[in-house]
Amino acid sequence: MSGSAATLTEILKPEGRAAPGLPGDAKEGLFDRVSSLFRVIDMLPDEMSDEEVEGLMGVLPDDARKSLTAMLIPRAREGSLAFMKCLSIWLDEAKRSPGQGRKTFLVPFCFPPELVHAFDKGFPITSEVLSSLAVVALEGQGERYYDMALGIGLPDHICSSNAIEIGSMLGSDDFQPQAIINAATGSCDINAKTHELISLYHGIPQFILEKTVDDSERGRKQYRRNYLGLIHRMEEFLDEELTEEKLRRTCEKVNVCNELLAELWDLHKNVPDPVPNLFSLYTYGTRFSMWGTDAAIDAMRAYVDVSKRRLKEGAYPADREVARCLLTYTSYYFDLAALFNWMEEQGYSYLGDGLDLLFPITIDTSSYDSMVSGLAEEAWNMPMTHQVGGESMSMCWLEDALYSAKDLGANVAIYSGHHSCKQTWSVASIMREELMKRAGVPMLVLQGDSWLKRTTPIGVIQEQIDEFIKNVVSEKRTGKRKIRRRLEDKTSDSPSPREGEGRGEGAVL
Amino acid sequence: MTVTTSALEEAVRVSEAVENEYVKRWKEGGGQVVGYSCVTTPPEIIDAAGLLPYRIRALGNPNTEIADAHLARFNCSFCRSCLQLGLDGTFDFLDGLIETNGCDHLRGMFENWQYVKPVAFFHYVKVPHQTTPEAMEYYTEELRLFAKALEAGFGTKVTRPKLKKAIERQEAVRSKLREVYAMREGDAPSFTGTEALSLFLLASAMPADDYLALIDRVIDERSGTGITGYRARLMLCGAATDELELIGEIEDVGGLVVTDSLCYGARAFWKPIRTDLEPIEALAELYLKEMLCPRMYEDFPRRRDFVIDEVKRAGVDGVMVMHNKFCDVHGVDNVQLRLSLEKEGIPVLQLEKEYGSKADIGRIRTRVQAFLERIGDRS
Repeated sequence: MSGSAATLTEILKPEGRAAPGLPGDAKEGLFDRVSSLFRVIDMLPDEMSDEEVEGLMGVLPDDARKSLTAMLIPRAREGSLAFMKCLSIWLDEAKRSPGQGRKTFLVPFCFPPELVHAFDKGFPITSEVLSSLAVVALEGQGERYYDMALGIGLPDHICSSNAIEIGSMLGSDDFQPQAIINAATGSCDINAKTHELISLYHGIPQFILEKTVDDSERGRKQYRRNYLGLIHRMEEFLDEELTEEKLRRTCEKVNVCNELLAELWDLHKNVPDPVPNLFSLYTYGTRFSMWGTDAAIDAMRAYVDVSKRRLKEGAYPADREVARCLLTYTSYYFDLAALFNWMEEQGYSYLGDGLDLLFPITIDTSSYDSMVSGLAEEAWNMPMTHQVGGESMSMCWLEDALYSAKDLGANVAIYSGHHSCKQTWSVASIMREELMKRAGVPMLVLQGDSWLKRTTPIGVIQEQIDEFIKNVVSEKRTGKRKIRRRLEDKTSDSPSPREGEGRGEGAVL
Repeated sequence: MTVTTSALEEAVRVSEAVENEYVKRWKEGGGQVVGYSCVTTPPEIIDAAGLLPYRIRALGNPNTEIADAHLARFNCSFCRSCLQLGLDGTFDFLDGLIETNGCDHLRGMFENWQYVKPVAFFHYVKVPHQTTPEAMEYYTEELRLFAKALEAGFGTKVTRPKLKKAIERQEAVRSKLREVYAMREGDAPSFTGTEALSLFLLASAMPADDYLALIDRVIDERSGTGITGYRARLMLCGAATDELELIGEIEDVGGLVVTDSLCYGARAFWKPIRTDLEPIEALAELYLKEMLCPRMYEDFPRRRDFVIDEVKRAGVDGVMVMHNKFCDVHGVDNVQLRLSLEKEGIPVLQLEKEYGSKADIGRIRTRVQAFLERIGDRS
């Protein structure tokens, strides 16, 4: 076969920085814009009065103001500030990495970043966290970057959580990583393919961590080999040995984070759920960026403390908890107020979503091997990796959702139907049927894009959730179908069932 | 444009049926049939077990109403179409089904098929996405486990001699397909793209010995004949395309498809199997290391170079890179391919389409006509 003399980067990347079909002038990139905004957030005090919040809102652009208004709602404010501080440190560290002789790795959300944190010369930046921050914080919600990705011919069915970030990297003069860890191979085609495109386009080395779709011991062993191979390639790339001491330093912090995560999970079991809905997003935002660092420990501790305090006070934003909702996969991130806060004000607790299915473990820190095995197991258990990267997409995903639904006492499942998520879409019908059959939990199937408001407006999503809960779940809470109840009303003088009667096992209302 | 002859007519006719007369005859003789879909599945192992390997196809079937209750409209319409045929009874002649993790949509297709209407024998061949030594070792073992699963499921034995024999048979089939493709490279190709696709489809839907007898007749008939009067020589690249009608539409407006790198095409037979390795290792080498599929990572340069070489060898005027709507692996890979080919000065038409959709045909014809206008007129 003939080889081309030109490098792939020369072939794929046109003259200058901008992508084909786009103006040649360099544009301000997502990372730079988000990190500039977070420099402002970093100046905020740990506690803010309502007046201070109001003052801050006055100087922010519309989209950022909308998101911050949602985040700084009093019941979630302390946790929100902790989350933003954590991300601010993350962005700042990433920005300063080149100057400090550190190389940045672009990683997907399904890869535990603590491995990169364990190196002195490496730092992780997470694709989907950046995209989500763009949606939450930037004017225009990152849509310009999505359009840039489509501008080079990428199809409109690629995942917006990747398209927003990679669109910025393809079409603007943005901060760039020195390497890519492609860890979605085996669990998500589109995620893995778009990251490979970035690697080819910019000539950035790509390190593959393939998830074996094999749940047998053989498959796990192969995955551990793959994980160890990744460590060796990173060591070579960074010219740094990942010593036992470095691993232990990080793994000990990972264990603290995991302990706090387990505590937060248990807090969700209370009725009503004392954990503010937004903390679900914060938890995995923290997990995907700074896990295994002091910043993550501080943030997680704040989420736990706020939730414990609320439990003690019996605080809940609605009169009563109407529904306990488990989102089986992604959520919607383009309007935090109208989803997370709105739900909780209706009495719809958000127990978590598919990205909260983290299943933390305690890593055995006694030896190098035990720590590598522990980290590999963490990686195996990551959201998406464990579910649709499992041997059976439907059964592995179902297993996690069932466990969560039962453990947390969910009585509603909601599948957000993120349109690019072909793996979950392909088995969503099995999930719906089996969740009902095995746990008696009905699943609402929505259609929308988790990161783009242009696909399904949040008002439509609210309406569908509301209707579903009122018509399916509230009916189910009486344990009787309408026709039967009518018949009983006619034939019996006994009073109507009281609220809360007739619920199945696991119901907690 | 074409001169039809009896052997070719027979081949084309047989290829248009999902359960063709050869399959029926095989079943009537007590034989069993095992279906597979992905090009990373070695049919040699099924053949060595005394079973008929059958590559699942949808032949442009546009109806997906049963499948749509299980897969979603965000899933590739080729997979939905195949699932439809699985659930509506068309594939009831299959005694076994082999899943591979070819892509996310394909996995969903198999899982729904097994969930709704289980096939008696089902096995999952897990195929790595890389060709590192560790991945090769894993895949080689997967192939051994595949053979064992067939042995257990069908009460047969896949011995080394049987496997060697099956490899020889299947290699003879692949060799004939390479011959057919070579006969399309000259100025006056012996086959249209539609005919070549028919011959390809037939190769994975009937016993190898019967196929070899038939293809020899076809090749004899077509030797020395040639097609002229076409407007441009095209190469097709991209996703699963077993749509005879689609290729027919492209050729109907004047483009002659002279080569491809398709999943249902050259990708399945371009490379001869190595004879200096142990049979199972040779299969692993052929079906993983030599696989030109965008499901594989860190391998784009090889895929690009293959296309560029084919363009030169077959005198291609323009390349059509296609993907079915929602196909992730080709959807992204095609962008890379288009940019690379354009850099080489090769005209490219990047086309997203719905599989088997009659409604899409008019739009596709217009796009192809415009492309042909752009790349010149050989006629």
